[in-house]
Amino acid sequence: MAKEIFMPKLSSTMESGTILQWIKNEGDPVDMGEPVFEVMSDKINIEVEAYEEGFLLKKYYNVDDVVPVNTVVGYIGEKDEEVPDTPPGNTENSESKAEPEPDQNETVADDSSSSVTQIEQGQIRATPAARRVAKEEGADLSDMTGSGPKQRIQQQDVHEFVQNAQKTPKATPLARKWAEEQNADLNTVEGSGPGGKIYTKDLSAAQNDTVSAEPDRIPVKGIRKVVADRMTESAAAVPHVTLYSDVDMTELVRMRSRLQDKIIEQTGAKLSYTEIMMKAAASALERHPYINASLSPDQQEILLHRDVNLGLAVATEQGLVVPVLHHAQHKGLVELVKESKQLAADARNQQLKPQQMQGGTFTISNLGMYAVDGFTPIINQPEAAILGVGQMKETPVGENGSVVLRPMTTFSLSFDHRVVDGAPAAAFLTELKQLLEDPYELLM
Amino acid sequence: MHKYDIIIIGSGPGGYVAALRAAKEGKKTAVVEDRGIGGTCLHRGCIPSKTMLQHAEVLHQVEQSAAWGIETGNVSFSYPSMLKQKETVVSQLEAGITALMKKGKIDVIHGFGTVNDNKEVTVEQKDENVTLHAPAVIAAAGTSPFVPPVKGLRETAHVTSDTIFEKTELPSSLLIVGGGVVGVEYACLFAGLHVDVTIVEMQQDILAGEDKDAAALLRNSLEKQGVTVETNAVLDDVDTGTENAVTARYTDKNGITKTEEVNDVLVTAGRRPNNSLLEETSVQYNDGFIQVNENMETRVPGLYVIGDLADGGWKLAHAASAEGISAVEHACGLQPSIHTSLIPRCIYTFPEIASVGMTEEEARKTGYDVKTEVIPMQGNGKAMAMGAKEGFTKIIADKKHGEILGAVLAGPHVTEMIGEAAAYIHLEGTIEELASMVHPHPTLLENLFEAAHSWLGREIHH
Repeated sequence: MAKEIFMPKLSSTMESGTILQWIKNEGDPVDMGEPVFEVMSDKINIEVEAYEEGFLLKKYYNVDDVVPVNTVVGYIGEKDEEVPDTPPGNTENSESKAEPEPDQNETVADDSSSSVTQIEQGQIRATPAARRVAKEEGADLSDMTGSGPKQRIQQQDVHEFVQNAQKTPKATPLARKWAEEQNADLNTVEGSGPGGKIYTKDLSAAQNDTVSAEPDRIPVKGIRKVVADRMTESAAAVPHVTLYSDVDMTELVRMRSRLQDKIIEQTGAKLSYTEIMMKAAASALERHPYINASLSPDQQEILLHRDVNLGLAVATEQGLVVPVLHHAQHKGLVELVKESKQLAADARNQQLKPQQMQGGTFTISNLGMYAVDGFTPIINQPEAAILGVGQMKETPVGENGSVVLRPMTTFSLSFDHRVVDGAPAAAFLTELKQLLEDPYELLM
Repeated sequence: MHKYDIIIIGSGPGGYVAALRAAKEGKKTAVVEDRGIGGTCLHRGCIPSKTMLQHAEVLHQVEQSAAWGIETGNVSFSYPSMLKQKETVVSQLEAGITALMKKGKIDVIHGFGTVNDNKEVTVEQKDENVTLHAPAVIAAAGTSPFVPPVKGLRETAHVTSDTIFEKTELPSSLLIVGGGVVGVEYACLFAGLHVDVTIVEMQQDILAGEDKDAAALLRNSLEKQGVTVETNAVLDDVDTGTENAVTARYTDKNGITKTEEVNDVLVTAGRRPNNSLLEETSVQYNDGFIQVNENMETRVPGLYVIGDLADGGWKLAHAASAEGISAVEHACGLQPSIHTSLIPRCIYTFPEIASVGMTEEEARKTGYDVKTEVIPMQGNGKAMAMGAKEGFTKIIADKKHGEILGAVLAGPHVTEMIGEAAAYIHLEGTIEELASMVHPHPTLLENLFEAAHSWLGREIHH
């Protein structure tokens, strides 16, 4: 069946084209890809190629005729095939409305088996849209491979080429091999060659600049995962307030040294400051039950705990764990030493039982063995507060109008402001400070 | 005092190229020269010797062509006419450089120039000295032939590359002291003109430092041309012998003392730096050569030294030109546009030897996992057609990436061909690209292509 030859729409603004010459005459055999006629638009001259094999059956227009785009200008078909004597109706309106973009016109033309394609002086097959985009992007058509019929370059090819060109910057073959081997992204490398071409020296320069050695990777799981989740949750959900107080440790130091021999005799272990602090905290918590508290899971009630179950933050190789020393308010220093040493050992040996990690009502985190003066602990939920302990160091303090050196430690109390307010929390910390500064009461 | 932007002392291929580059940047430029414009290269080096080598090569081809059916009758030549032709070439080139200087509005100031730390240049002239000043001064004074302290040598009439062509009479025999690049080129030249040539070289081999295969090939070829090559040999003393002759005694590698009576002794035993122009500066020396940084700048800011006079780098004309361009660009505050690290090396012997990049030995020392491929010239169609089958193509590449580290070519026209290998190294093409590029047939360069395929283990012809 005879196929129409259309006046192609060569640009978005083209409305009509002038026929410059007929390269084939009626009755001439036409091979696919052979130019049939030449057309001039307001922008370019183009030879329109046959997209079908056969014979040129009809030419409806003469040289210099101005023909609207998408008008049938002739037919290609079998020899002696019947075609209309006059050109069929102008299809320009319907098609151009439906497909205003020139590249889409191309597609439509292909779909309707229209037998046109173009070839310009440069002998590179490309659609007018592809040419336009290439010009806009400053891309060279001769570098591209066309995906269209007969390797014609389509607009899409140009887009892809430009994208790829942006993706793969200019680099020497050796630089590419280097980059591939080292998994380096050439896009991040600034080339020193002509037009920004990347040489191997640019790669080594870039590496020296920006690339550091591959980090060691540790999966976030187990204790790490628990700590991460709980700290995130607490920091995000709980309105933290932290109070600081500097405590004079003179008496506590003295008391500890006095008790030390006896404690070792009874327990085989040393009395540490932490245990005395635990004793002091347990006493203070008994007197300030709103600190020894937690918020109910539905957040409807505040639970004031009758027992003081002290959590003790212990650093282990696997991460932070907080074993709980239950009923601390009933325990003397000997028991506290025994139990807390056992808990710490179990924690480091990963031998804590679940019940040893549950039921805490208050936590103590002591970083005093490090060069830490003070810090803001994050509350171990659902508890209402946590005590942070810094290092003890000789500090000048004022006393009766003169400056004296005292062993001082900063205690920090973070509390959940949903559960407790600043004044009662401050009262607790003050009580604790007094107990620590005059610790003999603890022995009662 | 005359003020300039840039003053260049010396007008050899380092100095005059630097001057032209400076003029292109719009700098007010002066060149100080106490001899002919063009320096050693044009007057006493590359150009005279290459012109004379061309004559020797043509003579050899004419003589060889009898075997190809070319009938010439008796072939003879006139050495004085050859020298005249050489002079014509030299003066044409000199006129060319002079014209370029004029076009660039570069002042050429004749006289011996010296410089101090303030970058004041004093030019000694007949009547009075001229003083110039510029914020940037480039010293490109080059080197002079070195005559070793051999007993009698300095006192006896001898020639160097500076004076060899001053005599219009062709010697019938010539003793060449030193078998380096310069020595072997003159050996080929004079052997080609049927002079009886002996090379006395102290080192174990001729062309010390160059590719060993190339040195061996050339030695073999020299001996075929009738040259006596004495290596591991020491020149003991030189004496004026009978009329128009010199008696030279040397100890050969077996410890045997030999005496040779020759027309001339040509000393090609290295070159010494012409550093007297820097006596009033505080530049640093290394064995007489001047220490410079990567921009060819000395420790005196704004004072540059380029070419043979600079410490390090290849002592070659094109290296000097490249360094001159770099120095000028740096002095102008520009990013140096030329890579001075990759310098091709050409030896104009019969056969020619050209190399670029690292030798196999250097590459291994640097730590590369080296694979070397050698393709002999024998099977090459073009070489056969030319009747010049001596030679080989060697390619040195790193196994990891196929990075081309060096190439050595020996054979006809290889000095023209080394550029392809240099381009691959410069543009960081690897052996795969070399093997994938079509080479025209029949050409000598096909061997480079063949070597690349061979390196990849997919030889085509071999």
